[in-house]
Amino acid sequence: MNFWEPRDTYADPAIGPTPADAFSPAPDVLPPPEISPPEVISYSAAELAVPCDIYPLGMQAALQRAPRFKVRTAVLNAAAPKVVSIPISRAPVKVRSFLFPALTEALLAKERGQQQPPPPPKPQPKPATPSSEGGQARDTRRVRMRPPRDIVKLEDRLMYLLEPPVETWLARESLSFPFQPFPYQLEGIAFLYPRTMAVLADEMGLGKTMQAITSVRLLLHSREVSSVLLVCPKPLVSNWKREFALWAPEVPVVVIEGDQAKRRFQWLLPAPVKIANYELLQRDQELVLAPDRHFDLVVLDESQRIKNRGSTTSQIVRSISRNRSWALTGTPVENCAEDLIGIFEFLSPGYLGNHMTPRQLGDAASEHVLRRTKDKVLTDMPPRLFRDVEIDLGPEQRESYRLAEEEGVLRLTEMGDSATIQHVFELVLRLKQIANFDPATGESAKLDRLKADLEEVAASGRKAIVFSQWVWTLQRLAKELVAFNPLEYHGKIPPKKRDGIIEEFRNNPNRHVMLISYGAGGVGLNLQFSQYVFLFDRWWNPAIEDQAINRAHRIGAAGAVTVSRFLAVGTIEQRIDEILREKRELFETIFSGTEPGRKLGLTQEEVFGLFKLKCPTGPIKFAA
Amino acid sequence: MAQEAQIPALGFLTVVEDAEHGLFGGYLVLNLIGRPLEFHCTTPVKANRAQQILYGPTLAPYLYGEQIAQTLIRKGAVKPRAVFTDQAAVLAARQHVDVPLVLAVDESAPQANGETTRRIDPPQTVLKRFGWGRQPLAVDAASAADEQLVLDRLSDVAEDFDLLEPFGRIREAIAEASRN
Repeated sequence: MNFWEPRDTYADPAIGPTPADAFSPAPDVLPPPEISPPEVISYSAAELAVPCDIYPLGMQAALQRAPRFKVRTAVLNAAAPKVVSIPISRAPVKVRSFLFPALTEALLAKERGQQQPPPPPKPQPKPATPSSEGGQARDTRRVRMRPPRDIVKLEDRLMYLLEPPVETWLARESLSFPFQPFPYQLEGIAFLYPRTMAVLADEMGLGKTMQAITSVRLLLHSREVSSVLLVCPKPLVSNWKREFALWAPEVPVVVIEGDQAKRRFQWLLPAPVKIANYELLQRDQELVLAPDRHFDLVVLDESQRIKNRGSTTSQIVRSISRNRSWALTGTPVENCAEDLIGIFEFLSPGYLGNHMTPRQLGDAASEHVLRRTKDKVLTDMPPRLFRDVEIDLGPEQRESYRLAEEEGVLRLTEMGDSATIQHVFELVLRLKQIANFDPATGESAKLDRLKADLEEVAASGRKAIVFSQWVWTLQRLAKELVAFNPLEYHGKIPPKKRDGIIEEFRNNPNRHVMLISYGAGGVGLNLQFSQYVFLFDRWWNPAIEDQAINRAHRIGAAGAVTVSRFLAVGTIEQRIDEILREKRELFETIFSGTEPGRKLGLTQEEVFGLFKLKCPTGPIKFAA
Repeated sequence: MAQEAQIPALGFLTVVEDAEHGLFGGYLVLNLIGRPLEFHCTTPVKANRAQQILYGPTLAPYLYGEQIAQTLIRKGAVKPRAVFTDQAAVLAARQHVDVPLVLAVDESAPQANGETTRRIDPPQTVLKRFGWGRQPLAVDAASAADEQLVLDRLSDVAEDFDLLEPFGRIREAIAEASRN
């Protein structure tokens, strides 16, 4: 049937309404949609046999009537909409500006017709092509300068902060180096350069000299300084002169030396760098402290020399007119915390004080002290191998030692309260000497052991250095070790001969042993061609021993350095060794921030306690 | 514009966004050995709500380029050979200044969300890309002539001059200055 036919045409009572019928529009109200012709579906009577009743209600006529509408008009009296304009304001941007000295110099140079900056390295042809390989190979580990906390003016802080990485700067300035600096050395330069007060306290052998010279070099190039005074121990003057020639060949250096008239003239020279020794400063006090004498920078090498604040040397260097103060030392704390306080009296009087605990000292000093050890920065450096060689004295030597100790202790006991610490020291030295050589028989268990070890050293074609605190011990060893062709380097060797001795030891393959005193050879010697170090007797102070060891264990060392520390069993040397260990703990406390395990200095009680003696009243500082 | 001196120099300009304060612009002028000649930084710039709505996608070029970069470059005492930036939005300042503005692309920078490519140009900026040595660069395509100009002006600059490194310095200096 066709669903679009008028309803009354399909209201077949026989069929009735279909389900689809309920959703069909009324054909008499709406025109049929323009759709495709309806589909005709046929049902059989059997399929649509739905009962349906039709009732006449008259609805069909009502649906055919047209609708009637009533129209009502309403007047709207709304006002015209308001327009709100939002200005897009452009507030002026405030700018802070900083101009740096390099700009002033460049402008001045331009006025003078000079080319600024210095010509950069000759450029290589560069392909101007886009690259898909990524940017330039960049080393993100570059060393940058950081302004220290005591620089408060923002312009000054930014000046250092905006300087290029150190390695870039050195390369751009075309500053040549005989060797490529280690990264930690660049960090040392970045540390020193911006500081007006600094302690470079690297362990011996890490190149403090090079770092200081390069920092001075950069300061001179950037015109931040123009006059530098370097003060060092007299034996190291020639070493500093050589190092300046090596690391800063373009920097004129004047060594203050000669007679008074010559020195007076040298002090007046306008050289950018002057080198003087501590001893000379006392003689030239009037010249160096003259009212018109001023230095932009004063550098103290081996600054532990001024740890005693009351010494004349300390007073003179503290009085030198200067802008910047740097101290170089491998042993900022030799004996006690006061050593560091003494150095800081040169840097900034009153900055550190006796009232401060070791931790407070460490915290306060940390901003101005840079301390690195080989173990931490030279991970690829050959190791130091320590051997504590415990030596049993022979019967005769043992007996001599026993008698001397008993006699000495008895004498001290009898002295009672009149015994001084000097008396105790005398006994200590006497016993140490006997532990080296028996004065009665000449027997020496240490010598026997040393000979045995040196035979191995010589057989392998290597070299060894032997340290003692006594010249007479070294001279005695020289006689006993003649088979090893030894060289001597101590206070009785004229200074003019010393450089030749070092060269002989370095270059002569038949020279296997050098005998050195702690005093003469503790600092400034480069003996990295030695693979063995023997401490025939022990110094009071571990820092001095470290300096000695580091003559061999330093940059350039070809292999591991074996350090043999001789220790006579059951003697005063063992008791002193315990003290040395405690001193090392003190050092670690100040420079690592850990609490000390005990008191800092060696009290008088402890010195007397070496012999189990009762102590007179009153503390006394250990004087080593 | 401030009185400009003719000294061989390169400019570096970047903008640091601080969530609390807004945008800090920093402009560093270096001589050809990389030492600082001058540094300028802005106080924080923050778009108001009206600007955010009305500028829409052009807000970044407006703030970075028109407002900050233009102001900073005009403050310079030295007229550099070119000004490098690490943000494409800064290039919008090119039409307001008479110095080439160059985008230095850091393709080695870590990518966010594991992206393997880095989008360097905002949608409204068409870039003309080129290279100096191994350093990818780009200028606004509207100033395509700058490419040759920049290459000529870099001809006597050491080829290992790292054009990206100074931006780290600027960011540190902005942080230092903002602490003061």
